Amino acid sequence: MTPAQKTAVLEEVRGILAEVLELSDVDDIEIEPDSLLTDDLGLESIDLVSIGAMLTERYGEKVNLAAFLAEKDLDEVIRLTVGELVDFVVSKLADTTVA
Amino acid sequence: MGMISVNGLRTHYQWMRAKTSRPGGAPTVVCVHGIGYDSLASFYLTLASPLSEAGADVLTYDLRGHGRSERPATGYTLGHFLNDLEVLLDQLDVTGPVHLVGNSFGGTVAFSFAANHPDRVASVIGIESEPATTVWSEKMAVAMANTVKVMGDQDYLDWVAEHFGKHHARLTKAAGEGIGRTSIVAELSQGPLLTENDLARITCPVLSIVGSEGYQRDDLDAVSSLLADCRTEVIDGQDHSVLVQRHHAVRKLLLAWIDEHEPAWADGAA
Repeated sequence: MTPAQKTAVLEEVRGILAEVLELSDVDDIEIEPDSLLTDDLGLESIDLVSIGAMLTERYGEKVNLAAFLAEKDLDEVIRLTVGELVDFVVSKLADTTVA
Repeated sequence: MGMISVNGLRTHYQWMRAKTSRPGGAPTVVCVHGIGYDSLASFYLTLASPLSEAGADVLTYDLRGHGRSERPATGYTLGHFLNDLEVLLDQLDVTGPVHLVGNSFGGTVAFSFAANHPDRVASVIGIESEPATTVWSEKMAVAMANTVKVMGDQDYLDWVAEHFGKHHARLTKAAGEGIGRTSIVAELSQGPLLTENDLARITCPVLSIVGSEGYQRDDLDAVSSLLADCRTEVIDGQDHSVLVQRHHAVRKLLLAWIDEHEPAWADGAA
């Protein structure tokens, strides 16, 4: 996956987060790669369920956020950043490309 | 996102379907979360995926007043939650016996459901849960009153933030405000409570998973002593938050439990 494609995923993830946060404009809040989903963006665990559904809808079943988070401890989920979310999506898309 | 009307309330549910085919078909696991700032996410983000990978159909839903489900001002007795579960299963055409997994109060719902509908329950897995006895009711009434009092206290919220992080403090505050807008504190412990005869109707196998430092720390076998067929598993060094903090351990117990109680399923795995 090229840097440009990764940037495109970041933009799409930002759009999904803005939708879950019910922002009328994606620029209403800073959503940067190092933003924490919980403390910085104020997302709750139920929001992660919605984000997972939206990612699967956008990228297909291979992007399974619930499966990814099920392997993490609570502390790791709380410390999850936008960049890690993007890396997760990118890694799943890359898996498919190789296959 | 699945939305369905249950007893006139907008109710959020999520299926995670079996990703593996097993002989004997996919058992259905229905997850019932606890009260406060709990939601279906506690199950959906921890156990649902590994269960579906192993071959189970997993249903999670938000209780009334929680998560994305509607929050009425009143209607929070155990009876309301029980009826919601029955109607939800009917509406989603879940007719066969299911494995009911309940976290905290969700397990209390599961025990009563098993007593009322023994033919619809294959087993109950209670995580830090107790059946709705008079002992439970008294403990619950005190716990709910205390919880609401501290949730609105800024000193307490500061303490939570310092010890567990801003995220937990914010959730605690939001849960306190949400609870305060409903009658849940006054209603929840009212039951209907289970009599000895009711408890005797819970004949399905039960797995009680408790933290050694959890709500049953004074008597870890309290649930087993009430039921005909109950095994207790203790998670050492864990307080009440067994599901979210020790979900890897719970997963292992749960998968082994379903293997044990779905013989065809276990044979397929061998």
